[in-house]
Amino acid sequence: MTTGRSMRAGEAVLGGGLIALGGLIAVETMLTPSVGRAVVGPALFPYLISGGLVLVGLSLLREAFAGAVAHAEGLELDLWAVALVAAGLAVQFLLLDTLGWIPSTTILFAAVSRAFGGRRLVVNLAIGLALAAFTFVAFNYGLGLNLPEGSIVERLTSPDAE
Amino acid sequence: MDTLAALGHGFLVALTPYNLLWSAIGVTVGTAVGVLPGIGPALTVALLLPVTYGLEPTSAFIMFAGIYYGAMYGGSTTSILLNAPGESGSIVTAIDGHAMARQGRGAQALATAAIGSFIAGTIATAALTFVAPLMVKMALLFGPAEYFALMVLALTTVTAVLGSSLARGLASLFLGLALGLVGIDMQTGQARLAFGVPELLDGIDTVVVAVGLFAVGETLYVASRHRFETEEIYALKGSKWMSREDWSRSWKPWLRGTLLGFPIGTLPAGGSEIPTFLSYLVEKRLAKKPEEFGKGAIEAVAGPEAANNASAAGVLAPLLSLGLPTSATAAIMLAAFQQYGLQPGPTLFDNNPELVWGMIASLYIGNVLLLVLNLPLVGFWVKLLLIPRPWLYAGILVFSSLGAYTLNNNVIDLVILWVIGLLGFGMRVLNVPVAPCVVGLILGPLAEQQFRRALAISQGDPSVFLTHPISAALLIIAALLVIGPMVLRFRSNGAGKGAGNGTGKGDSASPSGSHPAT
Repeated sequence: MTTGRSMRAGEAVLGGGLIALGGLIAVETMLTPSVGRAVVGPALFPYLISGGLVLVGLSLLREAFAGAVAHAEGLELDLWAVALVAAGLAVQFLLLDTLGWIPSTTILFAAVSRAFGGRRLVVNLAIGLALAAFTFVAFNYGLGLNLPEGSIVERLTSPDAE
Repeated sequence: MDTLAALGHGFLVALTPYNLLWSAIGVTVGTAVGVLPGIGPALTVALLLPVTYGLEPTSAFIMFAGIYYGAMYGGSTTSILLNAPGESGSIVTAIDGHAMARQGRGAQALATAAIGSFIAGTIATAALTFVAPLMVKMALLFGPAEYFALMVLALTTVTAVLGSSLARGLASLFLGLALGLVGIDMQTGQARLAFGVPELLDGIDTVVVAVGLFAVGETLYVASRHRFETEEIYALKGSKWMSREDWSRSWKPWLRGTLLGFPIGTLPAGGSEIPTFLSYLVEKRLAKKPEEFGKGAIEAVAGPEAANNASAAGVLAPLLSLGLPTSATAAIMLAAFQQYGLQPGPTLFDNNPELVWGMIASLYIGNVLLLVLNLPLVGFWVKLLLIPRPWLYAGILVFSSLGAYTLNNNVIDLVILWVIGLLGFGMRVLNVPVAPCVVGLILGPLAEQQFRRALAISQGDPSVFLTHPISAALLIIAALLVIGPMVLRFRSNGAGKGAGNGTGKGDSASPSGSHPAT
């Protein structure tokens, strides 16, 4: 359950984040030595955009404390489901290079299904596996793309590569 | 006559069996993905980008054109039967379309949407055929200063038009502009904001950001809300045909919707939102029974759906002839052009006529195919709505990660996708529109390039932007769009002090939330 007050806090975080991002861009641009002799160098737009970010951030902060925020009456959010989906995606990109496309994507599929209330884990894993295998075959052999088969599999299939 | 000859040549390209096949695949896949709830045209195009990698550009863009139009047709099915519009242009359709579905008149709503889309799409494609070459002639008069001013105007309108608060729209825009800075500067070759990560030197891909915001962010949001919301799907039953009365109440709204949709689509005014809302208001004003509006008036489906599809064709005019994207979908199409090393604009018409005209011709063909796909076969697409939500959203994320990974075959893109997705979730909760971010990301670097070119030509004199009349006019319009609403608000605040300045009033009228009914 999210209340109107935490919506305001959220908007304040967004405003603060934009100000921080503006500051980061300005500092990073200052630290980068400029090359080239163009009339307008590569530093002007970063400065303009960082200025804009700070101004917009400030006006969001003002809106957060004194203005109209979205869902001011509060909005119910199932944050556990959000965390599960986010974790599924994180597991996929962490394991993709080692385990390969098929296992890591199967895990992603099962995690998202669970977050949306699918309780039959085995069925979800099976469908995820089928979809992952189908996309792997279709994209690698049909369309000539390169989904990773995983460094473990590569090592197992070619043991003399050491 | 040149135009007709070019179009004829385009038909020869588009009607070869090979390209016809890709057009048919494009409209079918576009409809299928467009029907899925939570997926609008922008995301459909982004997700299907990898499928076209193996094709030569002409076939790829013929397929894209099919996907684009197909997604527009498919989206109306979702909004009518499910009341979950996949994109902002279908919000108005959802109001009366869903009401009709509730009364068991879903088939008639789908029919008037499909036929209206066909009529509007065909007329607007014909208009595109003749307007695009005119815009190319105009583009030849443009120098870097005018292009810069035009891009500033487009960025401003996309931001000012969408969403309930200017500050939130600007937040999204500047976020996109900041993401656009990352990578090697096009003029000097200097790395900017790459923080020593080699994968960032190529910049952050528009497609990754679009998929992150529209697919991952949206899925996270739906995951957070689905326990608290119930969906109603209405089966199609009864007569599938429109009655004589339905026809006589539909044909004028179709034509009026087309008249509104195409011209507004060609303006840098942010795609289909304004024309669909205008069409709704016009039909309500002209209707014999305005009291039926909101309760299932067929005019309120026919007009906005026609306006929606006409504006989809209109958006292609500035995209093809000026390289100017005016909606999130157009921004992704521009990214697709860049993927093939093509830059839309007058040179594209000169150097790749078979691509441009083949694509335009394929729009006519795609429209006919879509009418066939969506009238007799609509029952088949409706079945797609019955996919259990856990598997649907899990599948959406599988294809999202597939699309992001295959762009460059590296995991960094998946990490960026994840970060942008979480950001998109936050934006969705806070009601920050995401389209300005996508358009800002792709237009920012182009605007910077034109700005620096203009100053290089004028040898550093910044007054070029104001001494060139076209550029000055465009910049003044852009400034008025930002300042005008502010002034109005200050004045109304001053006049109505203490009269309660309606918190949340802006939110309820906002077209940015894609689930208006909760």
